[in-house]
Amino acid sequence: MSNRQPALSPSSVRRRPIRPVRLGAALVISLSLVAAACGRDDETTTDGGNSSETTAPGAAPFIDPAKDCLEGYEPTKGVNGTEILVGTVRPTTGPARIYDTVTKGLEKYFESVNAKGGVKAGDGTSYTIKLVKGDDGYDPGKTPGVVQSLVETDGIFAMVGQIGTETNEAVKSYMNTKCVPSIGLSTGSPGWGQNNTSPWYIGGLPSYALEAGAFLDFYSKTKPEAKIALLYQNDDFGKAYQGAIKKWITDNNSKITLVAEQPYDATSSQTTEAATAELAGSGADLFFVGIGGSQCPITLTFIPATWTPDVYTSITCSGKLALSLAQGKDEGIYSTQATLDPASAEDQTNAKVQAFLTDGAAVGLTKDELEGGIVSVGWGLGALFARSLELSPKMTRADVMNTLWQFDGEQVGLFRDGVPLTTDNDVDPWLIEAMRVVKRTGGQWVEAGPIVDYAGTSNSFAS
Amino acid sequence: MSGSVLEDTPTVRPGVVPSGPFGGRVSWRWIGWIGAVIVLIVTPHVLDAFWTGKVTGWVCLAVAAQGLNLLTGYNGQISAGHGALYGLGAYTCAIWVDHFDGQFLGGVALAAVVSFAAGLLIGLPALRIKGLYLALVTLAVATLFPDLVKQLEGITGGQQGLKMSEPVPYRGTVVQQNVKWVAPEWTGLADDQWRFYVFAVIALACFALTANLVRSRMGRAMVAIRDNEVAAETNGVPVARVKVVTFGLSSALAGVGGALFALWQTQVFPLSFTLTASLYFLVAVVLGGPSSVIGPAIGAISYGLFEDVLSKKVLPERWQSLTPLILGVLLVVLMQLAPGGTVGMVQTLRRRRLARRASGVLQPAGQTVDQATDPATPDDPATDDPVLDDPATPDPTND
Amino acid sequence: MSEFFQFVVIGLGNGAVYAMVGMGLVVIYRSTGVLNFSQGEIAMFSTFIVWSAHEAGLPLPLALVVGMIAGAAIGAVLFRIAVQPLGDSKANPLPVVIATIGLFLAVNASASLVWGSESKPFEKLFGLGALEIGSVSIDYQKIGALAVLAVEVLAFQLLFNRTKLGLAMRSVASNPESSALAGVPVNRVLLAGWGLAAAIGAVAGTFTAPNFGIDANLMLNTLVFAFAAIALGGFDSLIGAVVGGLIVGVLTDVAPRYIDAIDKMPLAPAFLLIVAVLLFRPEGLFGTRRVQRV
Repeated sequence: MSNRQPALSPSSVRRRPIRPVRLGAALVISLSLVAAACGRDDETTTDGGNSSETTAPGAAPFIDPAKDCLEGYEPTKGVNGTEILVGTVRPTTGPARIYDTVTKGLEKYFESVNAKGGVKAGDGTSYTIKLVKGDDGYDPGKTPGVVQSLVETDGIFAMVGQIGTETNEAVKSYMNTKCVPSIGLSTGSPGWGQNNTSPWYIGGLPSYALEAGAFLDFYSKTKPEAKIALLYQNDDFGKAYQGAIKKWITDNNSKITLVAEQPYDATSSQTTEAATAELAGSGADLFFVGIGGSQCPITLTFIPATWTPDVYTSITCSGKLALSLAQGKDEGIYSTQATLDPASAEDQTNAKVQAFLTDGAAVGLTKDELEGGIVSVGWGLGALFARSLELSPKMTRADVMNTLWQFDGEQVGLFRDGVPLTTDNDVDPWLIEAMRVVKRTGGQWVEAGPIVDYAGTSNSFAS
Repeated sequence: MSGSVLEDTPTVRPGVVPSGPFGGRVSWRWIGWIGAVIVLIVTPHVLDAFWTGKVTGWVCLAVAAQGLNLLTGYNGQISAGHGALYGLGAYTCAIWVDHFDGQFLGGVALAAVVSFAAGLLIGLPALRIKGLYLALVTLAVATLFPDLVKQLEGITGGQQGLKMSEPVPYRGTVVQQNVKWVAPEWTGLADDQWRFYVFAVIALACFALTANLVRSRMGRAMVAIRDNEVAAETNGVPVARVKVVTFGLSSALAGVGGALFALWQTQVFPLSFTLTASLYFLVAVVLGGPSSVIGPAIGAISYGLFEDVLSKKVLPERWQSLTPLILGVLLVVLMQLAPGGTVGMVQTLRRRRLARRASGVLQPAGQTVDQATDPATPDDPATDDPVLDDPATPDPTND
Repeated sequence: MSEFFQFVVIGLGNGAVYAMVGMGLVVIYRSTGVLNFSQGEIAMFSTFIVWSAHEAGLPLPLALVVGMIAGAAIGAVLFRIAVQPLGDSKANPLPVVIATIGLFLAVNASASLVWGSESKPFEKLFGLGALEIGSVSIDYQKIGALAVLAVEVLAFQLLFNRTKLGLAMRSVASNPESSALAGVPVNRVLLAGWGLAAAIGAVAGTFTAPNFGIDANLMLNTLVFAFAAIALGGFDSLIGAVVGGLIVGVLTDVAPRYIDAIDKMPLAPAFLLIVAVLLFRPEGLFGTRRVQRV
C-alpha cells in the first residue's frame, strides 16, 4: 500500500466545481487578511541584517514561514553540515546561450571562495558552496521540470542567478509556494518589483524599466525633443523597455516622442535586418535596441549608412564579448552601467577589479573570459549570495531571504563604488538602483553621465 | 512498396487463431492488455511523487505517438507536423480551462474535437500531395504553429505563454497560482497518483480504440492503401475518405495527447511545440515500431527513459550535454539494426527462432507454434505458413 | 517605395542562402532519393571548419576552400556509415528519414562539443561595404552571395552536362539498377553527391554566419527555409531550388512588413504559396512529373 499521505491541500486550493462559492470564500479570506495586516506594524528599522524569525520590536520580517508557506517549509534543506547546495538554471542552447557564461562566473566564484575556506556566515560557521546546474535551453516549457528536479531530487537550499525572464516566471508560482529562495535572478524584469506576491524572488540586475528611464533622464537633457525608434524583443524583457519608455514620456510631459516600434522574435529564424531597415525609414534621432542575445550587437551591423542615430543598447548586451559580434559598429553607442568593467583600462586600476582578475585567473578563467563582461556578472551574483549568508543570523531559507530584503548600503562584488545595494521589504524591493550612462569610445566604455542613485524608485518607472 | 519496413509488420488474417498459454484458450493479446493495466495500477504506488509526475508526462507522448503511428505506420502518410496538432490540443485545453473556467476533462474532449477538425482540414489537400512532399507540407504546418500562437497573442499569451491559473489568497492579497490536480477524498489517493490514473485511463481508452480500429474494416482499408494505393482503389476501397478520416483521427489522438500535456504542465508555451517536437514524435513511433498498437507506448517509454533517467541520472553532469549526440547515434545505429523498431526486432528474433525450430528441432505433434509474446501485435508472417500454423498438420520434421 | 526595394534586397540576400542549401538538398535527393534532415548541420559543421581555418590565419576565401573540402569528406563519410547501409530509400523512406534526424542530432551536438556553445563573430566574405543606389543600400555581401549562387548553378550545369561524373550522377538518379548493370560505380557516385552537397553547405554557412555569429544552431532554421525552397521549386530541380529560394527569401522579408496580420509569422506567406502551388502542381514549379504505373 502507499506509504505516503495525501498531499496537504488547503481548502482554498481546490479544483473547479465549487467555483463561485470558492471565489467568494477567497475574497472573504483575503479581505480579512488585509484587515489584519493593516493592523500590523509595518515599520522596519534600517540597521541592515537585523532579521530573525521572531518579531523584534518595530521590525517585521518580510517573510513569516508560518503564515506564508502554503505547502510546507523546509528551513534548512540543502544545508548539509558545512556545505550548502545551491542550484542554477541556464541555457546552453537556444538564442540566449551567450549567457551560459554567466553561470561560469557563478561557478568559478564559488570555487574561488571555497578554496579560501568558504563563506563565514552570520551564524559563525564557515560554509562551502556547491553548485548544481540545470539546463532549460531558455524554454519556459522545460524550466519547471528542471527546477523541480533541482529542488526535489537534488534538494538545493536556494537557486542562484537563474537566467531568463520567462523561464523564471514559469516557476515563480512553484518556488514561492514551496518557499525556496531564488536569489539574484539574472534578469531585471520589472515584475520582480512586486515582491509582496513573490517574496522568495530577488533580482540581481537593475530593473529594465529603471534602465530605460535613467537613460532618458540623461538623454533628454541634451535632446529634449528627440524622436525614438524602438526595436524591442517581443516578450517580457523587451516589453519592459517599451512600457517604460512610454511611461517616462507621459510622466515627464516630455516632447520626446516614440515614432516607430518594431517587435523582434528572439526565437525566430530571422535577423533584425528587415526590422532595422524599417525603423531606419523613420529617421529617428535615437535608436533604442531593446533586445538581448547575439542579435543585439549584430543589429548594429544592420544600421544602414544613410541613418546616423544615437544608439542605445540594453545593459545585457554591453559586455566586451557580446560587442565583439558587432564587428566594429559599436563605436559611439550608449548604455548604462552599474558594474565595474574588467575590460576597462580605467576600472582595471580599481582594487576590486584587480582582486577579481587575480582570483579569477587562479581558478582557471582566461583573459578573454575575465574581460568579456558576462562572466563578471555571474561572479557578482555569487558574491551577492555570499554576502547574504554573511549577514544572515541563522542558516535557514527564511532568514537568508529576510536578510536580503534588509540590505543597507552593501558594497558587493563588482558593483561600482557608487552603487550601494539597499532594500527594504516591499517599500524598496530593488537591490541595484544606481547606475551611470556610458558611451563606447575607442572600444572602451567611457562615462557620459555620473552615477545617479534612484534608490526606492524603480517601481515608478515600470508601466 | 515491396520490401518496405512498414509492410513487414503483417496484418491479421481472419481464420488464423491467435494462440496463447493454457492450450490457446487465453490469447497472448488479452494477457498483454491485462498486464498493461496491472502495471499502470501499480506504478504510482511504486514510484514516489516526483517520478510519478515524470511518468505521467510520458503518457502524453504515448498518446500522441499513437496518433502519428495510425497515420504514418498504418496508413503510410508521413507527417512531420504532429507537433502542431499536439500544440493545438494543448492550447485548446489551456484556453478552455483558463479563459472559460472549463473542466479539465472537458478540455481534453474539446481538444480532441478541434484537432480532429484540423486533421480533416490538412487531410484534404494531403490527397493531392503525396510522399515526401506531404512530409514537407506537414513540416510547414509544424513550423508555422508556434508563429501562429505568437501572432494570436491576445488569446494565447504569445511568447509569454498561457498559465492555467486561479486566484489564491496569499500574504494579504490574491495571487494567481497554477491550477492543481486534487484527488477526490473518496479515493484516498495522493494528488499525483490520481492525476496519473486519470491520464492512464484516457490513454488506455485511446489505445483500445486504436486497437479496435486497426482490426476493423477501416483498419484493413488503411493498410491496403499504405501497401498499394492504386490496387486498393481498384478493389473498391474509398481511398480519399479513408485517408482524410485517418488524418482526422490521428490528429484527434495527437490533440488528446497535447491536452494531457497542458494539464500536466498547467502552463503552455509556444516553444514546446516547434518542429523539434514533431520530429521527436516520429522518433518515438519508429523506436517502438511503426504499425503496431503497442509500439508507440514502447517508443514513448524508451524516449522518456532516455531523457529523464539515462541522461539525468546515469550520466555524470559533464556528459549531459552529450544526450542529443547519444540519441542521434542511437537512432542511426537502430535504423541499421532494427528498422522495425522494438516490435520489429522482437518479431525478427522470433522469426529466427521459428526458422531454427522448423529446420530440425523436435516438436511434439499437434502443438501450435507459439505466437507473439507481444500481445498487441498481429500475427507474425512467418507463422502464416499453413504448414506450420495449422495444428492439424503435424510438423514435417517430426518423427 | 525605396523601403520596399530595401526589403527586397534583404530578401534576395537571405534567399541566396536558402537557394544554396536547397541546391544541396536537391543534389542529395536526385542521387539518393533521400530528404536529408541533417543537411543544415553538416553545413554548419563545415562552416565551423572554415572559421577555425580562418582563426588559424588563413584568409577567409582560402579558409572557405578548406572548409568545403573538409565538409565534402565529412558529408561523404556520414552518407557511407549512416545512410548507405539502409538500402534504397525510395521504397522505404521512413528509416532513412529517421537516420538523417539522428545525424542531425549527432552533428549538432558534436559541433557544440568541439567548438563550445558561445556565438563567435564571423567575418563577411565580401566585406562591410555597400553600394548605394538612391536611398537603397545594397551590401557587397549580398551581391556576392547572388554572384556565388550564379557560379554554383553554372558549375552544376557544367558538371551534369559535360563531365563523366555528372553523367554518372544523372544516370544513377534516374535508374540506379540499370546504372549498376552498366558498370557505373553507384556507391561512389552517391558519395560524391553527399560530398558536393556538404561543400555547398559550407558556402551557405559562410554567408549566414556573419548575421548570427557562428554557433551550433546556425542552420537550424535555414534548413526549414531550404525545404520550403525546394518544395516550391521541385525536389529534383536545381533551378527550382534557386527560384524557390529567392522567392521564399523575398516573401519572408517583405510580406510581414506590409501585412500586419502576419507580422509575427514571417514564414506564413512562403508556406501558403507552397501549399497553393503543390495543390495544382504536386511536383513543384520545376519538378518532374511522376507517372504512376498501375
